[in-house]
Amino acid sequence: MTRRSCSLTFLIVAISAFGMPGLLNAQSSPKQVNVYIDSVMAADTNEGTDPRLGPMDQKLRGLFGFSTYSLIGHNEGETDCGKMIAFTLPGGKILHVQPRAIDGDMIAMEIVLFDGTRPMMTTDLKLKNNGTLIVGGPRYEQGMMIISIGASTGGSPPIQSQATPAEATNR
Amino acid sequence: MMLGAFEDAELEPNEMQEVAFHLARCESCTGILADYSTLGRDLRSITAEPSLAGFSSAVIARVDRLPMPVFTRIARALRRQLDSVGAGLAWGGAAVAVAVVTIILMTPYAEHFANRAPQSTVLAKAEPAAPATSLVADATANEPTMADNDSHADISRLESENRSVAVWSEPRRDTTVIWLPDQP
Repeated sequence: MTRRSCSLTFLIVAISAFGMPGLLNAQSSPKQVNVYIDSVMAADTNEGTDPRLGPMDQKLRGLFGFSTYSLIGHNEGETDCGKMIAFTLPGGKILHVQPRAIDGDMIAMEIVLFDGTRPMMTTDLKLKNNGTLIVGGPRYEQGMMIISIGASTGGSPPIQSQATPAEATNR
Repeated sequence: MMLGAFEDAELEPNEMQEVAFHLARCESCTGILADYSTLGRDLRSITAEPSLAGFSSAVIARVDRLPMPVFTRIARALRRQLDSVGAGLAWGGAAVAVAVVTIILMTPYAEHFANRAPQSTVLAKAEPAAPATSLVADATANEPTMADNDSHADISRLESENRSVAVWSEPRRDTTVIWLPDQP
């Protein structure tokens, strides 16, 4: 074995070892993430559920005990891993969502909720593909605001309202 | 008779002194010595010095062509082979060591990408679904919280100025909730 062939072997082994994770990543994960945001006003005013909420109605009723749920906003967007997408929500709230990585069936992301320019909450989480995170609590009109954040890497979207962004703003 | 040797500085010191003393008083010998000197210079100027370029390499080549004892040849061949194999083994060993270290270092990374990595450290577990009337939990703001692994979200960091943040998951509804009640 000559010195040159040894060097070549070493180079091939090193490149193979270092390149393996990148190759795995490239093969196993799509990079685009669809983000769905529903903004719901929840109150105890006995006005029932906004029909535009569709299947979200059951979910909200199972989670909370309010008597009124009204869809006040719907946003959706598509972004790449590592690229932040911003949503302007009712009540002067702004939501930043930045998918960081797709780990199997989980989507790692950072979410920052602003009240105007003031950050209210920052969280890093892994959300199951087509799963939903609900952020709620801020006061909104006569009730509270509930923000449903869903993410998917394609295929069927998570349970959400059946409104288009334009419909959601026409209350 | 001693002038030639005197010219070539080959006399003993006392003889050199004796000849030099004689030359100082004898014009004839001085003239002869001058002729010797002139003759010597002329001879040196017409004699071509042989070139030494390639002399050493030619000598080495001739030495190499000399027949070598059998034992010496075998010993040299063995030493050459050992040097070559030793270098090869050293490089091969280094390559294997680097590959092993790299694989050890990169394995968790690879597993992470292959979705076999263990979950992040669970710092706190959120309670299962709580009624809306008791939303204010003891979750402290700026403390990392992790939702139940059975839920559809693993929260590794949660920061808020709100000190009454509540986090819980509802596995049956595939939902995790972060509740940020407005501060009074």
